[in-house]
Amino acid sequence: MATTAAAPAHAYGHDAEHTGIWSWLATVDHKRIGMLYLFTSLFFFFVGGLEAEIIRMQLQGPNGKLVSAETYNQLFTMHGTTMIFLGIMPLSAAFFNFLIPLQIGARDVAFPRLNAFSYWVFLLGGIFMNASWLLNAAPDGGWFGYAPLTTRPYSPGMNIDFWLLGLQILGVSSLAAGFNFITTIINMRAPGMNLMRMPMFTWAAFVTQFLIVLAFPVITIALVFLMFDRFFGTNFYTIAAGADPLLWQHLFWIFGHPEVYILILPAFGLVSEVIPTHSKKPIFGYPVMVFSLILIAFLGFGVWAHHMFAVGMGPVADTVFGVTTMLIAIPTGVKIFNWIATMHGGALRFTTAMLFACGLVGFFTVGGLSGVMHASPPADLQQTDTYFIVAHFHYVLFGGSMMGIFAGIYHYFPKFTGRMLSERLGKVHFWLVAIGMNLAFFPMHMSGLLGMPRRIYRYDAGQGWEGFNYASSIGAYILGVGMLVFAWNFIRSLRSGKIAGNDPWGAPTLEWMIPSPPPEYNFARIPVVTSRYPLWDMKRPELTVEVPHTQRGDRAVQIDIAGKDAGTPHPGFKGQANQPAESGPHIETETYTLKQLGIVLPDPTIKPLITALGLTIMLTAPLFMHHAQLMEAAGKMPEAKTGMVMFWILALGGAGLMVGMLYHWLLTPLESEHH
Amino acid sequence: MTATPRPRRRLHAALTAALALALAGCSADKYPNTIFEPTTEFNREVLSIFHSLFFWSALVFVLVEAALIWVMWRYRRRDGQPEPRHVHGNTTLEIAWTLIPAVILVFIAVPTVRAIFRTQAKAVPGALQVQVIGHQWWWEFRYPQYGITTANELYLPIGRTVNFELRTNDVLHSFWIPRLGGKRDLISNRTNYLWFTPDSVSENAWNGTCNEFCGASHANMRFRAFTVTPAQFEQWTVHQKAPAVFGAVAAQPGGAPVAAGTVQAAERAKSSGAPQATVNPAAPSTPVTAASYIGYPSERLPAYTVPNAPIPDGLTFTAGLTGDATRGQQIYSRSACIGCHVISGNPMSVGIIGPNLTHFGSRLTLGAALYPNDEKHLALWIKNARAMKTGSIMPTLGRGEYDPILATTLKSGLSDQEIADIAAYLHALK
Repeated sequence: MATTAAAPAHAYGHDAEHTGIWSWLATVDHKRIGMLYLFTSLFFFFVGGLEAEIIRMQLQGPNGKLVSAETYNQLFTMHGTTMIFLGIMPLSAAFFNFLIPLQIGARDVAFPRLNAFSYWVFLLGGIFMNASWLLNAAPDGGWFGYAPLTTRPYSPGMNIDFWLLGLQILGVSSLAAGFNFITTIINMRAPGMNLMRMPMFTWAAFVTQFLIVLAFPVITIALVFLMFDRFFGTNFYTIAAGADPLLWQHLFWIFGHPEVYILILPAFGLVSEVIPTHSKKPIFGYPVMVFSLILIAFLGFGVWAHHMFAVGMGPVADTVFGVTTMLIAIPTGVKIFNWIATMHGGALRFTTAMLFACGLVGFFTVGGLSGVMHASPPADLQQTDTYFIVAHFHYVLFGGSMMGIFAGIYHYFPKFTGRMLSERLGKVHFWLVAIGMNLAFFPMHMSGLLGMPRRIYRYDAGQGWEGFNYASSIGAYILGVGMLVFAWNFIRSLRSGKIAGNDPWGAPTLEWMIPSPPPEYNFARIPVVTSRYPLWDMKRPELTVEVPHTQRGDRAVQIDIAGKDAGTPHPGFKGQANQPAESGPHIETETYTLKQLGIVLPDPTIKPLITALGLTIMLTAPLFMHHAQLMEAAGKMPEAKTGMVMFWILALGGAGLMVGMLYHWLLTPLESEHH
Repeated sequence: MTATPRPRRRLHAALTAALALALAGCSADKYPNTIFEPTTEFNREVLSIFHSLFFWSALVFVLVEAALIWVMWRYRRRDGQPEPRHVHGNTTLEIAWTLIPAVILVFIAVPTVRAIFRTQAKAVPGALQVQVIGHQWWWEFRYPQYGITTANELYLPIGRTVNFELRTNDVLHSFWIPRLGGKRDLISNRTNYLWFTPDSVSENAWNGTCNEFCGASHANMRFRAFTVTPAQFEQWTVHQKAPAVFGAVAAQPGGAPVAAGTVQAAERAKSSGAPQATVNPAAPSTPVTAASYIGYPSERLPAYTVPNAPIPDGLTFTAGLTGDATRGQQIYSRSACIGCHVISGNPMSVGIIGPNLTHFGSRLTLGAALYPNDEKHLALWIKNARAMKTGSIMPTLGRGEYDPILATTLKSGLSDQEIADIAAYLHALK
């Protein structure tokens, strides 16, 4: 039974069994999981933002008294950790989940249940980490957790335990997702979509996944060492046993610097979709944009020690890491120039999405240039660990990542939900955020160069920092108001935004040829892809005739470059009664039931959620062990004994739950018989 | 070899002028910790690199933002506009804007590498050696060539290269005096080095900070550096080497304890000369009399080096108490104080956990440059250091005070009068 595409009320379900809370807990649909990622990470983003506002209130004037030193240290640690691991990374993951299958013309990701598992682990990890606030034991060692400060002798509380266990939980989520998306992109592209026809966002996502799967194991090792030091008495970072603290720093930054690109490349990808669409021009220099992504990622693994110029590595190491860091500016610059060249000669529509995309180009440039400034080690000795660095990376992460993500949200909200975000509120949001972020972060360059250290909860009057800090705080409040406007816009538009239709922006890529929100099977007919811009080829063929289409691989799927069928229909479409064999670029406006299409989709299952729960319970257990050790030290033996009993119950129970459920999961087929 | 091409030189001059204008507002009068007014060869080198970095960054910034804004304005969609032509790239252009940044980077990289090797070379022979030892959350400074140990206040002679040997007693810290040099981390189980030559024309006082997050009171781990003339520095070392004046006096029966013992806070605050005059001659066994310079004169301290952290709420001290230094010395010598502090000249006081207090009375700040070293702050510090400075290892000592780390209220401990006596003793240690 066909329903009309313009009725978004059906959201992701077509019948009763697809609605209600259970349908969300058991979902394996990449679009629903994407939405879960979006809502959850936006929630955590607001939590991290609230922490930032308290920090700015504390620093608004000299010798602020709003929070104590301990609370401040928890706030800045959790602000950084939250924004990176619970805000920006999962916001990108929301787009990965929702968009990758749609952009490559697939019906789901390669491992739908693993995808659900990734989300639940992320959610539980985020809850675990933030639960520390309830015990007044939020992590307080900085997001970088430098040893030996984070070892037991110097951080005897549970604060660091929450951090290192929470990050390990979150790492499982990122790694599972990373392998899933790599497999998806390599194996599940629609026929004809060779790598050089992939949309730019998918390319950015693809490169990002490699960064994730190569960088996260390194921090996992660093964290496991720290965990063993703290719980089992090993000496990886024990100063008294002669440990070298630089072990932690190298391990952390071998992860930490690629992490920066994990945060920024997806935003680059989103902007590379938004700018061409809203300029009505294809991306300028597609191959160079792809290669610069790869080059940034590659070089990103060879620059980590530029975070360590002050540790005294010696002149040779300083030189090497200084020069490699400068080199990264080249591919990054190319991307900026190519975005501007894409706009050149276009017909720019300044929708909110486009404004945010231009915001990225303009503001990220500031962060990029200040990055070159501390690529020079001698200059960095005056800049590192001052507010100059805080200014730099907020221009990169807010001016870059968040601007790109907001561009992506305004651009893709119609595809996600079937409704448009309000453009009027969107513009208010953009201008408040643009003004707020510049007022908040630009003066930090000055306070840093004028000698203000980072991570201080108070500063004396008369140091010349008052004016800049006051301005930063006002900027942060304006930014906060802008985010409230966004929240209002988001919530309101979910219910009553304008109906979007398939393709509200006139975009060129596959995700726009299907209804909004997409039906659960995504594509009734898997498209055969003949170019980078299939929808433009179809709607405005006169404009794309000169497109330098590569024909490589086309013969294998038996299509001509013009999109005409070469004779044999794609094997996947044989014998579908009501479908024409021809599936080149086309618009799908009707939706069907799975039965009509003869498609089998994976069954909903709760197993990934329960497996994730087992993992989280298992990693909660060490907290009780620590509690027991504290009680033992205090001479409270009954409490110590109870703590150890709890440890064993949770560790074994959690591990048993995880392994058992995983086993059960692996023995259950992905999809049941045709229903 | 050849002069810079004219247009670039002009551009350079114009930008430098703009930079100078922009930074004129950043003068040291208003911004005492600015990196823009270097006073060492190290900072001059860094600043020249910064200028070059700033020049190129500003140039690129202006060009990129101008191009962006021009494109946004020029190609905004207009009514009735035809579809834009689909341009897919331009190899020449793309090669150009790959190579141009690469060339700019060469201009930055060459002086950078030169500066790296220059600033990280070995310090000149004959440099003043200073060992910096980081503690949570204070600084220990040792002058091995002079046999001096002091804390939180650093004296450096103008015109002589100082070579810092940086170590830490616990977690990582980072040593930074923005006006004098770049920062260098203090790494556990490692020794780092940093050298520079202060070249200011007259004696001056500078702020120093810890820049590596080191735990609860990271923000409260500060210090002061004083650049003084070589003659003043020699005098200072002579004085620092000598045992504590008051200790020497007390050890001598029938000396002049009255003069030193009744030194009052008010007098000391009024002038640093008067107590010196009364105290110094009273130490006959040492050449202290010869020391005409025992420390940076408090009345000439620049305002930015006078700490102004507020006293925590709820912390009070009985008003009007007058401390007696002799009594203070006795109380000090039988209290927990001696377990952590050295006062050379006081044979009981040999602990090495806390700062060396031998010449505490001539210091201008206390608690790692957190509070001014006056009667009131010192008394409150002794009474409850953990309330005065979060996480302080120095225990709470005042009777009836709440110890935030042990989470208990002290039933026994020092009375306010005893604290005032100890404060008087410590302040007598010029």
